Amino acid sequence: MRKITYIDAIIEAQREEMQRDENVFVLGEDVGLYGGVFKATKGLMDEFGFYRCLDTPISESAIVGIATGAALMGMRPIAEIQFADFIGGAHDQICQQAAKIYYRTGGTWPVPITIRCPYGGDVGGGMYHSQSNEAWYCHVAGLKVVVPSTPYDAKGLLKAAIRDNNPVLYFEHKKLYRTIKEPVPDDDFVVPIGKADVKKPGRHLSIFSFGLMFHRSMQAAMKLREEGIDVEVVDLRTLLPLDMETIVESVKKTGKAMVVHEAPKYGGIGGEIASAIVEECWDYLDGPVVRVAAPDTPVPFHPKMEQLYLPSVERIYQEAKQLFEY
Amino acid sequence: MKPKTVSKGQAAKNSKPRGATRKRALEIPPEEARELHYYLRLTREVDERLVKLHRQGQIGGNHYPAVGQEATTVVPAFFMEDDDFVGPSHRELGVFITKGRGSPRSMPLVQVFAQVFTKSTSQDEGRNGPSHWGWTPERILEHCSNLGTQIPVAAGAALSFKMRGLPLVAFAFIGEGGASKGDFHEACNFVGIHKLPFVIIIQNNFWAESVHISLQTGNDNLSDRAIGYGYEGIRIDGNDVIQCYQTFKYAIDKARTGGGPTMIQCDTYRWYGHSMVDPANYRTGSEVSYWKELDPVARFERWLVDNGVMTQEEIDQRVKEINEQIFAAIDEAKSAPDPEPETFLDKVYAD
Ligand SMILES: Cc1ncc(C[n+]2csc(CCOP(=O)(O)OP(=O)(O)O)c2C)c(N)n1
Ligand SMILES: [Mg+2]
Repeated sequence: MRKITYIDAIIEAQREEMQRDENVFVLGEDVGLYGGVFKATKGLMDEFGFYRCLDTPISESAIVGIATGAALMGMRPIAEIQFADFIGGAHDQICQQAAKIYYRTGGTWPVPITIRCPYGGDVGGGMYHSQSNEAWYCHVAGLKVVVPSTPYDAKGLLKAAIRDNNPVLYFEHKKLYRTIKEPVPDDDFVVPIGKADVKKPGRHLSIFSFGLMFHRSMQAAMKLREEGIDVEVVDLRTLLPLDMETIVESVKKTGKAMVVHEAPKYGGIGGEIASAIVEECWDYLDGPVVRVAAPDTPVPFHPKMEQLYLPSVERIYQEAKQLFEY
Repeated sequence: MKPKTVSKGQAAKNSKPRGATRKRALEIPPEEARELHYYLRLTREVDERLVKLHRQGQIGGNHYPAVGQEATTVVPAFFMEDDDFVGPSHRELGVFITKGRGSPRSMPLVQVFAQVFTKSTSQDEGRNGPSHWGWTPERILEHCSNLGTQIPVAAGAALSFKMRGLPLVAFAFIGEGGASKGDFHEACNFVGIHKLPFVIIIQNNFWAESVHISLQTGNDNLSDRAIGYGYEGIRIDGNDVIQCYQTFKYAIDKARTGGGPTMIQCDTYRWYGHSMVDPANYRTGSEVSYWKELDPVARFERWLVDNGVMTQEEIDQRVKEINEQIFAAIDEAKSAPDPEPETFLDKVYAD
């Protein structure tokens, strides 16, 4: 099977869905002529025309609101927020309009929109171009939040998001765009929303992670394996709704749980996962549920500061080892 | 024909009651005028009844009376097709009552009351507050309290109409206060770029809760903003049904036939406070009585009588019938069961 990058997977998923369903279209800043600042919509305007890959003014609220209105009329829009850091302008549209329309219309009016959010650090972007703000939206009923870590999942989850009848926030990690390649089928498949994936089975300890931190967790797990410590690495893939079944199953098996994410620790999704594990797996736990996350500061710019800010492979390794020895 | 734009400050002056002596050609065909009157009166009587029901403690939550503002909601809704989209704000009762004009998809009167009594038969089955009406079959978005957020949503509906080449129009309503929100700008700017089939109606009742328009903006000619967006803005006397009729007919026809958006500022006035808990003591009695003299419904009724379209007896009879209808609807709404409390857990996500 041919190997493709994470960004290729994103382009391919959009193209295939646009070919399959004429109601699917993309809108956002620079997505048309330029193909997106990350080239995530490259070639789509050429293939599908001006309106189906529409350049918008710099109006995040309107981008999401327009997607919502078009969705109410039967379209399936994909709204690109240029950087997840800029999504705040669309907060009302996401949390008050889109998330609540189905509910407040008594289930008569679904809102099938996908909001693509390039996020994450280790790209030298500083505090306004590096945030991992997925947790902001995990608190809002009516939304779904997906966080693919691999090209395969990037393609399958984006297709699932586009076909879903609810507003889905699709967090795509900028650092992963061109740093990983893997075999991805060039035909139609979806990765179901709400299903985590045990990417590396293990016996001694479970790590729950996603995005760039998933890859760092895998590297830490490989290092630990050399020392005879068998870590299970679970790629969460979806944060809302969380796949508690897979999480619980894993913790019951290993008895030790660690959550790794690059967002600040306080109020991060790690807290939610940790407390859910404590509630549901208390009798099985052989140690504290550990959160490895960023400090509660903005993302600093200086490369050495950012390295210190983001959980490193070494830090994950050390924390996991300590938990193993607990 | 494009109606004359009323200049700043002229709207109210131009439209003082003109009395029986002034002869005008029939600006509205008699059949339409009679029907329009029905919806204007119905909206007025329903709203006054809602005020009474609230005072009697029969409605939980709050009510935002639009008495005095009927022309600016009923008249545009009179020209709407079933498939047109509406993003209402919180004072658009007249749109719910009028849109569809009795078509099978239009909102039955009983629904007005099912919503305020939060019955299981209301569209949202008790999930959203009273006065937060919505009617999906007519594509009227159920109200979201965050002012202004409906405008980008309506712009998106307009975009989809243009993409599909449909002769449909998307409408957004907003108060002059809500027009200060960023969403107003983002959406009104966007629709100008693509000349979308879009009509934005600013109901200027001069007050946003207790804040006067002079503290809302440095230019109370809000429709001037349309110039900046590259399309037409019109300011009218929103208490003059005839002017509303001509202006909305013009703007909606234009939008429907590819002529792009229009921003229409309707100067009007709410007779009651902002809501049922607002005594509105920030405004003077003389201001209120000035506007009550400009009552859009009474003025239109004078016009109907003066022009021989309806007799006073016919109007009186109609008001009587409307109230019978209203009481029947109230009884019907009340007889429905309340929702089962645990159903609030359902319908968070679509399948
Ligand atoms: C974003 C937002 N801010 C504040 C409020 C509270 N609020 C509800 S109605 C209102 C006044 C609205 O004034 P205007 O838009 O002129 O409409 P009117 O009530 O006069 O019809 C305010 C401040 C709200 N609902 N939403
Ligand atoms: Mg107002």
